[in-house]
Amino acid sequence: MRISTKSKWQIALLLLPGLLIFGTFTLYPIIKLFYMSFFEWDFKNALGQSFIGMGNYREVAGDVYFRTAFVNTILYTLITVPGQMVIGFLIALLISQVTKFKVGYRVLYYLPVVTSWVIASLVFKYVFNTEGLLNYFLVNIAHVAGKNVRWLDTRWGGLAVAMLLGIWKGIGWNMVVFLAALQTVSQDLYEAAEVDGAGPVRKLFAVTLPGIRGTILFALVMLTIGGFNVFTSVKMITGGEPAHRTDVVLTWMYYKAFSAGKFGYSAALSFLITLALAVLAVIQFRLMQKKDR
Amino acid sequence: MKRKNLWIHLILFSGLALVILPMVYMVSTSLKPNGALYEYPPRFLPSLSEITVENYKYILGQGKFYINFLNSIFVAFVSVLITAMVSSALGYVMARFEFPGKGFLFSFIVLTMIIPGLTLIIPQYELAVKLRAINSLVGLIPFYVAWTIPYSTFMIKGFVENVPRELDEATYMDGGSVFTVFARVILPLAKPGIASVSIFNFLTSWEEFPWANTVINDNLKRTLPIAISGFFGQHQFTQWGYVFALSVFSLAPILLVFLFCQRFFVEGLTSGSVKG
Repeated sequence: MRISTKSKWQIALLLLPGLLIFGTFTLYPIIKLFYMSFFEWDFKNALGQSFIGMGNYREVAGDVYFRTAFVNTILYTLITVPGQMVIGFLIALLISQVTKFKVGYRVLYYLPVVTSWVIASLVFKYVFNTEGLLNYFLVNIAHVAGKNVRWLDTRWGGLAVAMLLGIWKGIGWNMVVFLAALQTVSQDLYEAAEVDGAGPVRKLFAVTLPGIRGTILFALVMLTIGGFNVFTSVKMITGGEPAHRTDVVLTWMYYKAFSAGKFGYSAALSFLITLALAVLAVIQFRLMQKKDR
Repeated sequence: MKRKNLWIHLILFSGLALVILPMVYMVSTSLKPNGALYEYPPRFLPSLSEITVENYKYILGQGKFYINFLNSIFVAFVSVLITAMVSSALGYVMARFEFPGKGFLFSFIVLTMIIPGLTLIIPQYELAVKLRAINSLVGLIPFYVAWTIPYSTFMIKGFVENVPRELDEATYMDGGSVFTVFARVILPLAKPGIASVSIFNFLTSWEEFPWANTVINDNLKRTLPIAISGFFGQHQFTQWGYVFALSVFSLAPILLVFLFCQRFFVEGLTSGSVKG
């Protein structure tokens, strides 16, 4: 189809507002981030910024706090991603088996997803507080702990609470996604498997899981990105305490910029995170395409 | 068969109880008197004689929280509206026309979804300083729009591709232009899809915390998440009853929208995920 000049103008006009906003508020910051990472950026300095080359990157590489935050982020992702996928999938599998209350289950299991991170984090902070409900239950009712556990004052305790929140909040999303995927698996395959004498476990591994392979990989990519995005929950629940030992990469980056004033350092750190995620995503997408063939 | 179903319902129901527990505790705490730092012994539910609406009275008696509420509504609505318009236009053009660099442009926009939003906070902060968008409610909007454009464009492009091209051609035959097709064919037929994307975008800006918390200082310009987190640090101890009353207040409209539009939620989520 030949496009007339008038149409070309109209197409350009349709593209313009979106691209303008995207260009100014996303593309420009991406480029600027890279640029800033080579400077000792100081907002108070009106005269100009001092170029320090790879200085910020060297500082990130040698920073023990960053290393802790990085390990914490990896652990958070490694535990919350499979955690919410497995639980979400199992719930979807159970819901797909029943005929009654299907919509009710779906709606209620999805509630944590629409609860904001700020509110959910505060509820968890309140429940896991040293004088909170959970400790009272563990010590005085269930008698499984001798004294109150200081959940939020230790590295592993604080991280465990953040992870639990991550899983709790993610189950609903996985359930909905897997529920939709399960409907696409052909009933004929199940019947064929039954004829061959396959039990429920065999059917799960031979029919269901291969049938929803695409969705599993899609969820894996999305949730890995989500895992690296963790910020609000950690900031609200522990604030990185004690002594930055529960920080994740983004809370550490934020602290260095907005509390310590090291904007150049944080720009370098942000750039590295972005790069790492891009590489990870490309690998996962490649895997997805290979498996599809 | 019946027996097996009973077991499944039992498991699903127990799981549900666990999942809902934190929400119930939030509501129950908001209905308790707001006395000591932590009540002792802590109780999951208040006793009947104890139930009080004093926390809600306090929250609703403070003018500033109404303003915070209206701020959230304003920012979310305007952001969603602008995103819906510009992303529909982008999605339409990407789905229907060829132009040099289109493939690259589309992949690039979609790829930015990988970037954690917060990694751009430093250059965005620098930009906001330059544009005098610091401590400005209107200043939040273009940033929220820019964040939601990639996902929205990606989804809406898919919805537009489901609209039969014959309808476009019929409109061209009648002398219609690119604009006419957009307004008369694409927008009406892709409306359910655009609506489901918009509900997600609404949630995104309604609950957005880190950016608003960074650029808004003024009490009266705060959105609700910032107002809620404002209970920490300003007093010597945290008034949990107020915190959760305000939380319920801010969660209520989202839950209402969700309960009435849950079909849209599901569609917005799953139409991108199951194709593969």
